[in-house]
This record gives sequence, structure tokens and C-alpha cells, in this order.
Amino acid sequence: MRRIIKNTILAVVFLSCMLFSSFVTKKIPEKLQQKVNAAITTAYATESFSLSGVSHTDIPQKDYVFKIITKGKTIGYAYVGEANSMKNVFNYVVLFNMDLSIKKTKVLIYREEHGRQIGAQRWLKQFIGMNATDKPNYGENIDAISGATISAKSMTIAVNGVLTTITAIKNSL
Amino acid sequence: MKRLFFLGLFVSLYSFQSFAQNKKQQDIKSIKEMCGCFKVNFKYTETFAPEIDYEKKLDYTSGALEWAELIEDKNNKLSIQHLLVIKDTMVIKHWRQDWLYENERVFHYDKDNKWVFTDLPKDDVKGQWTQLVYQVDDSPRYSGSATWIHADGKNYWENKSDSPLPRREYSKRSDYNVLSRGNRQEITANGWIHEQDNDKLIRKNGQQDVLLTQEKGYNTYVRVPNEECKSAKEWWKNNNKFWAKVRTSWNKVYTTENELQLAKAVENKPLFMHFYDLEKSNATKKEISALIKKFATTKTIENASDH
Repeated sequence: MRRIIKNTILAVVFLSCMLFSSFVTKKIPEKLQQKVNAAITTAYATESFSLSGVSHTDIPQKDYVFKIITKGKTIGYAYVGEANSMKNVFNYVVLFNMDLSIKKTKVLIYREEHGRQIGAQRWLKQFIGMNATDKPNYGENIDAISGATISAKSMTIAVNGVLTTITAIKNSL
Repeated sequence: MKRLFFLGLFVSLYSFQSFAQNKKQQDIKSIKEMCGCFKVNFKYTETFAPEIDYEKKLDYTSGALEWAELIEDKNNKLSIQHLLVIKDTMVIKHWRQDWLYENERVFHYDKDNKWVFTDLPKDDVKGQWTQLVYQVDDSPRYSGSATWIHADGKNYWENKSDSPLPRREYSKRSDYNVLSRGNRQEITANGWIHEQDNDKLIRKNGQQDVLLTQEKGYNTYVRVPNEECKSAKEWWKNNNKFWAKVRTSWNKVYTTENELQLAKAVENKPLFMHFYDLEKSNATKKEISALIKKFATTKTIENASDH
């Protein structure tokens, strides 16, 4: 009986720790942070802003969500994520308007030579304006890119996931 | 036998010298081909950027009529003054290119409006021409030394040199501070082409240059009748004496020091705007030098050639 109680206490402590750690704002790597800041500066036309991390169990461990605040007022949201390219992973940011429609998407760090076309705004601008009611589909409402199929498809799936997540956590924003 | 040997040696030396003279004349001919009246088309487009999140800026295109006048014609020095003609009558003094044969003194742009003057080894400049490019106010822009190539029906000169931001981006961009210019000037059947392969660099003290993006420039100079540049010819006739004084004043600055830094503005006006007033009043050399002094800070640095 004692053993069961002990194990139950240990399990509760372990789960609490896990839950707590998922709520603690994660530290974003410095280079990535600089690129996120630069993307926000251009997209929202402001250089003075602060970011407030959003924690929620629906946000995947490797991703980050921030409120973008200027003069004490939230002006939008940034979802910083990671997705697969052909042989590696790349980092991207999806910037949202207050109504949770996409303001801009950018690929921030790309780690291989193949498929770099996905960084072009000419392609990425297709996501602008999409919200929870839209479902980006590669080759349908999102143009395919010859020579960058894996990365372009991956980015499309990622944005789809981002829209689902941002809708799920909207009450925490 | 000995006599035959010396005769052979003499013939070889003579042929070599005459080849060198011929080559130099060909160079001079090519440089002079850039003089006259031209319809110019300026085209720039950003190409490759190492960082995927860099967003290419819009292309730049422009056109003008340009008069290029040979203002100095010596054996080892040619100087060409370019003048823009706007709407047939308005004339704006544009850039100047000096060409010096086997010249050892060059300047390089560092950053923050600072140029460093260095000496090139005599052997390195054998048969070469230095192109020294000056801004509208005759302050330095960039320079470089290379050989004119005349082969396969082509006549061109190529060089890589650092310069400040081009005028078209000078007041619009702050995300890079040095333009490393790849210049190629090729004489064509109907004029000449100024082709550029440029690197836009971020330069900081004690750190390696960071490449922001690359750029292609394609400026075509198509020869048109000199008559079309009549107003520019006239303008130069009326103003060349003043600008000769300006060049003399600048030369005093160049020859004495290794490092030259220019203030971006004095009394809220850049240097070229101050020159408008001096030009109007046909200022003296003393007044011109006084103005340059307000903008220029010079100093001697050790080992400038290692820069």
C-alpha cells in the first residue's frame, strides 16, 4: 500500500513538473530571435515593440508563440516554427493580424542548398489573408514549386498546422 | 656570330617595345571611345542573397542623355567628365573618370565616408591603367588598377573596388554600408557598356564583411549625334574653369595624406549642394579649399598599403 502511495506521489510530481515546464517561456536561439525581430519590424512597420511569450499545451515543444506589443497594446501575433526540408529542418515565422488572419509568412533559417525557392515572397504571399476557415493545400490553393517540392509541401503543411494551433489557443492570446 | 646575337636581341627588344606602344595606343583609343554624346540606360537588379529571409528590393531603371567630355589628354593621363542632360536644356555635372597609366597611387573606400590612399608596387601596375572615379563634387568614389584587354574582337577593362552606396540608394538604405563593385567597361560597336557585379556588404570594425546581397548592373551607353548634347557642351564651356579650380583644390588634399574622411553634411547640406553656390559666384581656389576643409578630415596612417 505504501509503495502505491509513494509511486502515485512520484507520478504526480513528475507530471506537474512536465506540465510546469511546458508553461515556462522557452528561450529562443539568438540568431532566430534576431530574424524574428527583423521580420516583425518590416511587417508591422515598427522598431519599438516587445514580445510576450504565450504558453499552451497545444503549442508543439519546438515552436514558439508571441504576442507583439507596442506602447502596451497588442498589435499582432508571431508563430515561430520548424519544419522539414529535404535533408534538414528550417525555421519560419507566421505573423498574424489581431483577427488571426495571416499578415505575412517568412522562412527565416534554411539549412541546405536545395529548395531555397520557398523563401521568395512571390510564393509565400499566397498565405496572406488566410485564417482558421482556410485550409492551405499544396498544388491546389497553394502553387507547387518545381525543384522545391519537399520544402514547399512541408511549409504548406506547417502553415495549415499553425492555423489550427492558433485557433485552438485563441482564448489564451 | 656575336654580331648576329646582338642583332637578334635588338630586333626582339624593338618588337617588344613597339608591341607595348601599340597596346598602349589601343588602350587610349578604347578609353577615348567613351567620350561623346550617349543615350544612357541604367538597370540594376538584386540577384542572390545568402540569407533566405532577405527580401529583394525592387529593380532600379532610369535613363538619360549624357555628354562625356575629354578634359585632359596626356600621354599617361586621360580624364573624362560626364554631364547629364535633362529635358534637352538642363545640365547636371555628373561623375568623372580619370585614367592613369602605370599609376601607383590609388584610393579605396573603407566605410563611414572614409577613403584610404595606398601605393601599389611598381611591378604590379606594369601595362595597367588605373581608373579613378570621382563624385559630382569631385570628391573620391572608388578606384582600381587593371589591364585593358583587346582580344577576340572585344575591348574591355575589369576591376573590383569598394565604394560608398550608390546615389540611387544613398538616402534610402541603411542595411548595408559598402558597395563592392565589380566593374566591367566594354567598348561596343555603338558605344559602350558598363556592366557591374556588385556585392552589398555590411562592414564593421574588426569583423569580417558580411554579404547582404548581390546585384547586377547593366548600363548601356548608345552613341547619338553630338548635336543632341549641345547644351552640355555649352555648359562645360562656361563652367570648366571653375571645376578646374575644384580639381586643383582636391588634388592638394589627395597628395598629402593617407586617410580622408568626409562629413556627410555641414550646415545641413551635403558637399555637392554647397558647390552650387560656389559655382554660381565663380569662387576662388581659396574659397573652394576652405569649403573642402569644412568637410574633410585627413590624417597620415602607418602601413596604409596593408589596408
